[in-house]
Amino acid sequence: MDEKILTQHFGVEGLFRLEVYRGQGGYKAVEKALKQMTPAAVLDEVKKASLRGRGGAGFPAGMKWGFVPQDVPKPRYLCVNADEGEPGTFKDRYLMNHNPHLLLEGTIIASYAVGIRSAFIYIRGEYEAIALRLEAAIAEAHRNGYLGEKILGTGFDLDVVVHRGAGAYICGEETALLESLEGKRGHPRLKPPFPASVGLFQCPTVINNVETLSNIPYIIQEGAESFLKKGLPRDGGTRVFGVSGMVRRPGIYELPLGTKLRTIIFDHAGGMKDDRELKAVIPGGMSAPILTADEIDLPMDFDSLAEAGSMLGSAAVIVIDKETSILDVLRAVAKFYSHESCGQCTPCRIGTAWINKIVKRLAGGEGEPDDIDAIIRLAANIKGKTLCPLGDAAALPLLSICQKFRHELEGYLPHA
Amino acid sequence: MPKIFIDDRGVEAAQGLTVLQAADSAGIAIPHFCYHPAFAPEGSCRMCLVEIEGLPKLELACSTIVREGLKVRTTSPKVVEARKGVLEFLLAEHPLDCPICDKAGECKLQDYFEEYGLFKSQFKEAKEKREKKFRLGRNLILDRERCILCTRCVRFLNEITKTEDAGILSRGIHSEVGIFESELIDNNYSGNLAQICPVGAITDSDFRFKTRVWFLESKKSVCPLCSRGCNITIDSHPGFPRIPRSRRVYRIRACQNPDINSHWICDHGRYGYAYLDEGRQDKLVWKRGGRETGLNWDKAVRILTEKVRSLVERGKGSRIGVVLNTNLTNEEIFLADRLFRKGLGIEKFFVADPPPEKGDGFLLTADRTANSRGLQEVGLTFHAPDLKALSELDLLFIFGHYLPTAINPADLRRALEKIETTALFASHKSALDGLVDFVVPVPVIAEKSGSLTNIDGRVQSFIAALDFGGDGVPEWRGLLDLAKELKVEHRYFWPLTSPEAVFRVLQEEVPFFK
Repeated sequence: MDEKILTQHFGVEGLFRLEVYRGQGGYKAVEKALKQMTPAAVLDEVKKASLRGRGGAGFPAGMKWGFVPQDVPKPRYLCVNADEGEPGTFKDRYLMNHNPHLLLEGTIIASYAVGIRSAFIYIRGEYEAIALRLEAAIAEAHRNGYLGEKILGTGFDLDVVVHRGAGAYICGEETALLESLEGKRGHPRLKPPFPASVGLFQCPTVINNVETLSNIPYIIQEGAESFLKKGLPRDGGTRVFGVSGMVRRPGIYELPLGTKLRTIIFDHAGGMKDDRELKAVIPGGMSAPILTADEIDLPMDFDSLAEAGSMLGSAAVIVIDKETSILDVLRAVAKFYSHESCGQCTPCRIGTAWINKIVKRLAGGEGEPDDIDAIIRLAANIKGKTLCPLGDAAALPLLSICQKFRHELEGYLPHA
Repeated sequence: MPKIFIDDRGVEAAQGLTVLQAADSAGIAIPHFCYHPAFAPEGSCRMCLVEIEGLPKLELACSTIVREGLKVRTTSPKVVEARKGVLEFLLAEHPLDCPICDKAGECKLQDYFEEYGLFKSQFKEAKEKREKKFRLGRNLILDRERCILCTRCVRFLNEITKTEDAGILSRGIHSEVGIFESELIDNNYSGNLAQICPVGAITDSDFRFKTRVWFLESKKSVCPLCSRGCNITIDSHPGFPRIPRSRRVYRIRACQNPDINSHWICDHGRYGYAYLDEGRQDKLVWKRGGRETGLNWDKAVRILTEKVRSLVERGKGSRIGVVLNTNLTNEEIFLADRLFRKGLGIEKFFVADPPPEKGDGFLLTADRTANSRGLQEVGLTFHAPDLKALSELDLLFIFGHYLPTAINPADLRRALEKIETTALFASHKSALDGLVDFVVPVPVIAEKSGSLTNIDGRVQSFIAALDFGGDGVPEWRGLLDLAKELKVEHRYFWPLTSPEAVFRVLQEEVPFFK
């Protein structure tokens, strides 16, 4: 079990309490970073670890920190993206619920490396209990000198504030998250400028996913080399795979990056429920293009999945069996993105709604022969043309479902 | 200046410009809905996507800043396809009510569809039903079915008036422009919202359903309703009066001038156009012993010249007075000065203007006439009309109908009754009409040519946007005719036959106007 970084101590009772966490070696990385390392050395170590963002896009975390200008007179901010909204994804919820101090420790080290004095945890509104747990953990950390002024007797100060979202998928998009955190409507911003230079309250801002930051203490404590060994050279560490759908043991599995999808489903998650036949897998949250049963011998890392035309995304593996109608999958995808489109830009606002109307009609038994082509055409008109990644997140799965399962979908047309 | 290539054409673009602006300055139009030069780029309509060499995706022309060597394609198949895609999306939910939409004919959605679309609709689903006449403001009606959510209106209220009255409500396909319940948009610039709406979503109830835009003739002019000198477009019906209509002018719109009014005008200037067609003087009249005689200007000039001459010959030149106003053009004020003061030695000059009101701190000034700065720069001083001085006159020329606002009517009546001859040059009917001997109709600013000097000293020339229908003359013409008939400084006045010629002399003589 020593290959785990994040879920290693999940079995320990009361891990969410600071004392217990410390008993498992917690907060040693903060001690090391703040007392023995310069911010530049911390940044360097994280860069060496090839830690790629766990929110979905897979952007190298160290590089992201490095973009923050250090020579502007403005304050810098860290926003922890805990707005876990991607359908199928539930890893951050476990990480925060079981091990909130690990996230705080990563937050403290990241803030130290970038020179940040205020950090925000933007957590999805539905995670109320977890938000309370985080607040309790923050209070504990304050009492024990890990947060507040002069942390561990050094000159470093940091405050962490938990902010609950109001339940919009779009607020997981980093610039919409910033708008929402500023108290505005959660509409994505036009990029550039990127948040690293103009972010929260127009100040340089780092936005990292919960899982990304939770990896930091290990990198500092055990070194980049050890972290890299657990994963791949261009993609260090482990991933917390959230497996759901028709498997025997749905749940989260922390495994090295590059683990085969087949291994995840059939070994770790116990194989197909009731020995049903596998039909398809959505490998990285709902916005990842779907894979057929023949495509599951892929190593699960950012580059391999991108090569296969899908994406690792949030590493949420949704397993679909033969008895599940692909039309239901299509309907769920179309409905979700139509419902969650923020409405700001034309292709996403109208395109997702239009496709949803077609799919609803199709599901209602009133499909027409050119409907599938229409969905493909409209999704292609959304893809790559929207203001934020939500457009692609909607278009890619729709396209892949219609292309890979066209034959099955055509079976739902009335004349067939 | 970075050099960029737009469709293989080299374009020198100023540093910091966007691709869209650089293209625009080179005469290459990139279609757009949400972009407006007065606001920060929004990037939400996705209509201005262009191909940029070396980049995998199409990029926004409205927000991409030019850099040396950038190669842009604005008409490649990929770009045209993307535009079609956006149009298809917008039209999927857009009602086809162009035949009853006021924007038809000047609607960007309609224009771009003509240019890039012309496809048959593939939309088989039911369109969303939305509010068709939501009252946004005093004169503003929002049709939420026509709205394409470009948010120009929201951004205008955030960035220009800073009143933040409107926002986007609801999400996704249900998104709509909304205001705070029961709080209508009420500011002096609300009329601009209907003008900047690229489609027929916000219409102006002042203009709604009155005419089709293609019947209107658009002419540029300068707004004379305060001293800002905002540039305007006057839209009038050229069929008037052949087609029986109660008025010529259907609307006033802001005309862009970055140095004065940017893209905006105030509601005072926009909606206050009734004066152009209402209450106008139209007959040149001579009143003697309670009897009115119709005259033509040639005859009137001879009679007035005779009066002046007989007074001057009898050594009573000092008993001639002139009342001016500051809605006269620079040229007219200059001519009045050169004829009456320099030419005839008249000392009694007065200025009667409408009283100042409150300015709004943005465009509308407290001074509600167009050219007080011009009067000052020509070198005249403001003397308020004084009763005693008036009653000592034998001949009074009154320009403008504002005297009753400066002096109370009873006193004015007594003073004017003592004057042997009074000649009024006025564009509008007023209480003065009954107190004077001659009434000469004159045009308003929109009906004449000349120049005005705004509050900041900016001189703007303009030409007539509307025909002058009355049987009088523009003041500059009247003054020149008087000068010529009187043979005052013959060689000076004789070559002056147009406002342009007068302005050239003004420039020579008054350094300010150089």
